[in-house]
Amino acid sequence: MTTPSTVTGQTRQTSQRARRARAGWGFTSPFTALFLVFMAGPVLASLLMSFTDIGSADIRNPLGVNFVGFEQYGKLLEDARFLKAAGNTALFVVLGVPLTMLAGLLAALGLNSGLTKFRGLFRVGYYLPVVTSIVAISVVWRFLLQPETGLVNSVLGLLGIDGPHWLADTSLALPSLIAMATWRNLGFLMVIFLAGLQAIPQNLYEAARIDGAGWWQQFRYVTLPMLRPTMLFVAVISTIGYLQFFEEPFVMTQGGPLNSTVSISYHIYDQFGFGNYGYASAMSYVLFLGIVALSLLWFRLLSSRDDR
Amino acid sequence: MTTEIAPKPASRQRTRRRSRGTRPRDRVARLMLHLVLLIGLVVMVGPFLWMLLSAFKSEAEVRQVPPTWWPVDATVENFVRLFDRLDFPTYFTNSVVVAAAVTVGNLILCSAAGYALAKLRFPGQRLLLGVVLGTVMVPGMVTFVPLFVLVSKLGMTNSYAGLVLPFLAGAFGVFFMRQFMLSIPDELIESARLDGASELRIFLQIVMPLCRPALATLGILTFLGSWNNFLWPLVVATTEDKYTLPVALALYSVGQNNTEYGLLLAGSVVVVMPVLIVFVILQRHFVRGVATTGLK
Amino acid sequence: MKTWMRFAAVGGLSMSLLLAGCGREEAGTAEGPGESIADGPAEGDITVWAMGAEGENLSVMADAFMRDNPDANVKVTPIPWDGAHDKIANAIAAGETPDVALIGTTWMGEFARTGGLDPTPADLIDETSFFDGAWDTTVVDGVSYGVPWYVETRLLYVNKDVARAAGVDKPAENWEELADSVRAFQEEGGAEWGISLQPGGTGAWQTVMPLVWQNGGDAYDGDQFTFDSPQVVEAFDYYRAFFSEGMSPTDLPEGSLEPDFIADKIGAFVSGPWHMGVLADQDAADKYELWHMPNRQAATSFIGGGDLAVFKDSKNRDGAWKFVQYLSQPEVQVEWYAAAAALPAVEAAWEDPVLAQDPYLAAFGEQLTDAKSPPTIATWEQVAAELDSGLEELAKTDADSTEIAGVIQEQATSIGAGD
Repeated sequence: MTTPSTVTGQTRQTSQRARRARAGWGFTSPFTALFLVFMAGPVLASLLMSFTDIGSADIRNPLGVNFVGFEQYGKLLEDARFLKAAGNTALFVVLGVPLTMLAGLLAALGLNSGLTKFRGLFRVGYYLPVVTSIVAISVVWRFLLQPETGLVNSVLGLLGIDGPHWLADTSLALPSLIAMATWRNLGFLMVIFLAGLQAIPQNLYEAARIDGAGWWQQFRYVTLPMLRPTMLFVAVISTIGYLQFFEEPFVMTQGGPLNSTVSISYHIYDQFGFGNYGYASAMSYVLFLGIVALSLLWFRLLSSRDDR
Repeated sequence: MTTEIAPKPASRQRTRRRSRGTRPRDRVARLMLHLVLLIGLVVMVGPFLWMLLSAFKSEAEVRQVPPTWWPVDATVENFVRLFDRLDFPTYFTNSVVVAAAVTVGNLILCSAAGYALAKLRFPGQRLLLGVVLGTVMVPGMVTFVPLFVLVSKLGMTNSYAGLVLPFLAGAFGVFFMRQFMLSIPDELIESARLDGASELRIFLQIVMPLCRPALATLGILTFLGSWNNFLWPLVVATTEDKYTLPVALALYSVGQNNTEYGLLLAGSVVVVMPVLIVFVILQRHFVRGVATTGLK
Repeated sequence: MKTWMRFAAVGGLSMSLLLAGCGREEAGTAEGPGESIADGPAEGDITVWAMGAEGENLSVMADAFMRDNPDANVKVTPIPWDGAHDKIANAIAAGETPDVALIGTTWMGEFARTGGLDPTPADLIDETSFFDGAWDTTVVDGVSYGVPWYVETRLLYVNKDVARAAGVDKPAENWEELADSVRAFQEEGGAEWGISLQPGGTGAWQTVMPLVWQNGGDAYDGDQFTFDSPQVVEAFDYYRAFFSEGMSPTDLPEGSLEPDFIADKIGAFVSGPWHMGVLADQDAADKYELWHMPNRQAATSFIGGGDLAVFKDSKNRDGAWKFVQYLSQPEVQVEWYAAAAALPAVEAAWEDPVLAQDPYLAAFGEQLTDAKSPPTIATWEQVAAELDSGLEELAKTDADSTEIAGVIQEQATSIGAGD
């Protein structure tokens, strides 16, 4: 917009900005209203809980608890199971997030440009693990990983390798769950990547092709940069999801063997189940801090200039 | 695929003036890609197929180790027992109403808020974005009890309001739509403003049509999340007539000390069908968006 | 930046004002037995929550009750076991409970402590009509908060073919005989594993606490935990030996127990009445015999099941307790068994031919007379989880029993008993 030199021009500009601001508030207010009531309220309440010693015995009289400051947070450092869970969770994220993102991206690329027919079928097929019940998934994966009769060990047997008992080995249980999580979630990421890929204007590719760019160069100079907002979103969402991984250990190994697959969320779930609401809330907010820290890291790495 | 009209520089004379992908090397590459994707598909679809087939097996066969693929003695007993005991119409209706309401609500509220956060400037914008993003990062479990107490104090237990309202303001949805809308060219919006269109019109007639892939994606994800939600509907409903499908399923298949896998699998098949249908319908919109034509 | 700081300041101030008003009062006086309820038939609405599909069958019993009490209207809502604990806890928190609910025996301590349960009226029911172990599940801090409804206990399921092949003709009567029999199952009976015991993990305490009770010990003596007592350590040693001597597997894949048992690969396992149905489904109803728990100082097994409790927030206390009273009559207990295959908690019900004449059921009935439940402290689930962890180490590593017992004792003490 060129800055007008007349007074009326100035007023027009301010009124335009005001109009846009009003529109901004108008567009966000329905969301914000509901959000404040049903999201912000409970979050504040649970944050308060973490500074008290509230337990299940207090649920009928929640105001009658003691304020204990950061005591619940301090307890975490002495909790051996929490420390183990933190280690497991970190490993899960460091290995699982890149793996799943790569798999999802490859699948999206493959389905986007590699196929001419049956695209819909493939899309549905790759997304199926996301919608399949975790119960069914766990039964099948348990079979896959069974020591004697399982598919994985049978295939390894053909190659002359004596496969281990995947889920009962303290050093192999977590990697097995990582593989399972990658398999399960790549469809979800694929769908988001597909949306992002579709939004890349075709003429950019045409221009690149005219300039003589091959497949790899098109990918590197057109696709990847244009996918940046999507990648950031996928990275943050996967990290958030994987930092809270719960269903896989819950259904497959119950945190075992010997706590090698217990995650922070699993430990939080147990603590809520025991009625230690204050402690569980404190743990949740420590997890939250971890999530925020990692997300900020991703924002640093992948934010494009017009973001922020 | 386009065919170049202008003469090409000498260095690229080797490239034939036909659509790419018909050279033998390309064809092999294409075939390999198809093969890899196909193997991937089998790996992806396997467990779902097993779930489908096992729903037609007897309880004993389902528990068999090693598991069988094709049912030895196919039976519809699980489905019969399930529908016999389940008041299917009620639970199905509840699930549909709740999931549809949450999905539609999210699509509307989140695209509006996402657009404002991506393309409009207004005071408090940064704070709102920060708070929304922050909430996406709060672990889900921690707000459950306070939220339930709140909903109960508002008198919304055992009602559609209690099942739907807490999930209409989806922070995830806002984040998602905002990221997507960042990539919509500002020029489109500016030129519409120059033409005198109101903000609402710009949003509805220019921006929204460009968002079809994103809306389809968010729709699927929200629908899936709401449809499979178990703990919240369980706790909010105090009479059976407000149960959703996953709750009813657990009622009939998970006991105090043992689980009836045949019923559970049959129930899982029933529960997954609507989600699949929604997905199949919406995934057609993952097609090249109108984004490209809009630039002209 | 400034707005952010202002926001935080306001938030902080309001929080501190709010918290200034907080603080728990000193523990109130202990409750006594509940007030008696009025005589006469029940009236009004009575809302009931019952878990599992059995909850539905309860509607049938409710119909009979409503015939006897025409002014009463019983509304049963079945809720899934999966998530039931959370549902009840949330209901108590929000003050939106039903009148009556089925509550798992191991949850009683925790829910009683919330103050959300109504103490059992003093003269409502004769507590001696129930199995001792069952009645004890309702007693928290000396006060009863409900009435046992149905029970379950654990026995040894022994593979008949393996036992005969091993020359074992009668149930083991004490710890040594049991160990010998199990060894024989493996050596002469042809089984790969003499017995399959749960190697630690969730719920393993239900296998090991009975051993502690058989040895004359317990987890809690009313004042403090006693995990480091010699009786407990001995029980741990006994349990551990099954794994260290290769008599029980440490990593049996889930779902393999029944097929392996039927295929004579496993000589025995410990479980409750539901396994009768599971084995019958796989055509193995005649494959096993049931052994009583071995005797040392006692031949005690674990008792579990469900209790009926009335909530403090109930709007129809009299009607609720009358319904509970109705369900505790022996004839109704037998009807309930017929409807839901849940074993009656009332001893007299076991005289009915349906229960007395089935040898398997009679075995469970016999064991029920010597069965205990864990201490009804509010923190039992959490303490049990520590116990399960320790048991896993015992079973899967070469940890020392005394050491593990000491660790569990330490953790249990720091968790406390919840008062």
